[in-house]
Amino acid sequence: MIKATFTAAAVAALTAGAAGAADFPQRPVQLVVPYSAGGSTDLSMRVVADTFERLFDGQMVVRNQPGGGGGIGSSAAIHARPDGYTLAAGAQGPLVILPLIGGTDYQFDDVEFIGLFARSLQLMVACADAPFSDYDGFIEYAKTKAPQIGNSGAGGANQISAEAFADAAGIAIESVPFNGSSEARTACIGGHIDAMVASPAEAKAASESGQMTPLFVMEDERIDLFPDTPTAVEKGVDFTWSSWKGLIGPKGMDEETLAWLRDAVKQVAEDEEFKKTLTDMGEFVTYEDAAAFEARARGELETSRSVLEKLEMLGMNN
Amino acid sequence: MDTIAFLAPLFAPQVLLTIALGTFGGLVIGALPGLTATMGVALLIPMTFGMSPVMGLNMLIGIYIGGIYGGCVSSILLRTPGTPASAATVLDGYPMAQKGAAGRALGMATIASTIGGLIAAVVLATLAPQLAGIALEFGAPEYFALALFGLTIIASLSGDLLKGAISGLLGILISTVGADPISGVMRYTFGIHGFASGFAFTPALIGLFALSEVFTQMERIAGGEEPIKSVSGRWPTRAEMSESKGALIRGSIIGTLIGIVPGTGSGTASWIAYNEARRASKTPEKFGTGYAPGIAATESANNAVCAAALIPLLALGIPGDVVTAVLMGGLLIQGLAPGPMLFQTNPDVVVGMFGGTFIATIFMFIFGMALIPVFSRILMIPRRLLAMSIVVFCFIGAFSINLNPVDLYTMVGFGVLGWGMQKFGFSQAALCIALILGPLLESNLRRGLLQNQDNVLSFISTPITLLFLGLTVLSAAWPYISRAIVRDRATQHQ
Repeated sequence: MIKATFTAAAVAALTAGAAGAADFPQRPVQLVVPYSAGGSTDLSMRVVADTFERLFDGQMVVRNQPGGGGGIGSSAAIHARPDGYTLAAGAQGPLVILPLIGGTDYQFDDVEFIGLFARSLQLMVACADAPFSDYDGFIEYAKTKAPQIGNSGAGGANQISAEAFADAAGIAIESVPFNGSSEARTACIGGHIDAMVASPAEAKAASESGQMTPLFVMEDERIDLFPDTPTAVEKGVDFTWSSWKGLIGPKGMDEETLAWLRDAVKQVAEDEEFKKTLTDMGEFVTYEDAAAFEARARGELETSRSVLEKLEMLGMNN
Repeated sequence: MDTIAFLAPLFAPQVLLTIALGTFGGLVIGALPGLTATMGVALLIPMTFGMSPVMGLNMLIGIYIGGIYGGCVSSILLRTPGTPASAATVLDGYPMAQKGAAGRALGMATIASTIGGLIAAVVLATLAPQLAGIALEFGAPEYFALALFGLTIIASLSGDLLKGAISGLLGILISTVGADPISGVMRYTFGIHGFASGFAFTPALIGLFALSEVFTQMERIAGGEEPIKSVSGRWPTRAEMSESKGALIRGSIIGTLIGIVPGTGSGTASWIAYNEARRASKTPEKFGTGYAPGIAATESANNAVCAAALIPLLALGIPGDVVTAVLMGGLLIQGLAPGPMLFQTNPDVVVGMFGGTFIATIFMFIFGMALIPVFSRILMIPRRLLAMSIVVFCFIGAFSINLNPVDLYTMVGFGVLGWGMQKFGFSQAALCIALILGPLLESNLRRGLLQNQDNVLSFISTPITLLFLGLTVLSAAWPYISRAIVRDRATQHQ
């Protein structure tokens, strides 16, 4: 009797599992954004949620859980029940950099990568009154004096990218941390620092009005928005960097749910309306599947590890 | 003139209705403790995707203006600052409500917010590009000097200088919890993951002012004392208005100037305005006892910040505070990059936003005044019930900001701390100011030293730093100076 009930329950559980994956999602999917509302990650995730609801007739709720440089919200999603109903915005800082610095209760390998749908391209820009105005002048200046380069926070993605470039180019820089990129930008336009890492959206209007001067793009190839700005690669420095907009979740989701979600990211990334809205916001819409996304992240993990080691920040908060 | 053509779209019925809805929504969000103007603007940004730029952006401006104003409602009625911008309003607003003048206190706050908002809006519309240049002059040494000046408020707010200094230093100590702003090293988190970015400010504020008040009231209720509240009308008396004139003008100017400097915002502005009003007053001892000019100063300043913070945003592409940073996101979504070019490429949007600031301020006045009797009813709720509901609001408010359970412990911890401080005569306001200014002071001191190879002299190198450091010295010495003046007069009269 007990055995029969057991078997029945097991069978029921199995079919329920299968059925669950087939008509996933049955209830609202929560999308954790580990930053406060209104930033660029938050805004693009809200567009993702809109598109998701339009394409799949399911609900997707954005939940902002800021704090600890994105570590608190990311931790919540990585430790959530792996049923596919709690996902997070995969952000570079909390996934690739924070676990290396320490103080997080998750590691890189605890993250399930689902898919990437956009990247935030980055430029190095010279600030107002900087003693250089192009790539060569910048490198030349750095030979005599370390340029002061503002970033969005100690141990944040911007600091790592500036330091990683300096490493690759063989120059010395002095990183000046600010509380967020908007503060760094204020100091840059005010001429209180020499240079900073900015997104195309942040740099476009400012460089047109002469408040900033683009030095180089952190991509393999030149970008449409700044056709006259060289890449570091063409200047002979093997360095690229961008931050990403993707979806991640906890490890342990069942195969069918995971496959469904991965396909959903692909469909969202290829949706015309989605592409247009995100492009207007200054994002670079591009799809990468889970494997490519994870490989990209793993590459950056290694870059970050060597930069942090040099800065003596590896495991600093453990 | 083109300006008139650019303003015309604002008066389309659906645009007016949208601004009105935004302002009303902001007012409600601001009045609920824990829900801030920032959150309101951010949450409603997706709604503006499909709107025309002038309509969408002005709805957000309405939420911003309404939200900053709305904070005064719970500050005055419940001693719970609805937003950090209204923390200073608690000082005189709540005692006034206690004396049965809740309606007049709310009326004063509404009038002050309107005047502050309108003055700053005039400045925005006429001098934005010229004034924005000031914002660019602020580097680390300037911010440091400003924060230091702000901290001297503590001296004049505390009756007992020693206890005030203790509260202030405790606040600065508490504000160092979390990641070090320059090196990123975790400090005083005791391995608790949720403290990685320090004690969250709004939960701390809710605990410090609201929960502590519930504790105090519970003691009183247990003692059997239950005062019956009367709520006065809504218009301040003629005497109150004439006493508040100076505070209103000074608050509006201070709010406008602080608003233009990015990274400071309405919390700082309202405290500084309060202090300056008190210092300039002939009867400084009345501040903190339910004195209308106290409300006039803080509320005119915090609403002046709204329009003023748009100045660097529109003229330079630099957000003046957190809400305008979110607004900048709203502009970018519309494909408009804020900055000097915007005045040339999209004058219609710039003029439309200037106009929207005025319209939203007027709506704020109308709604605020109309709702005073409704809000005041809250005080008719029996004390016991009210106390219980405030506790519920405290928990919801503290949790809803970051969804971080640690914030609940923060709120309760600060509640107990605030209760103890009140009991033993330590100033909660001093602690609050230190929590706002401590991080500004520390990070800019450290950044300034880093950028100038540890050369301390760089902190007295520019006219702005000298101005603020001079004000700091003057402000710290003021109690002695004013006493000397009084003594002088007394001897002359003899």
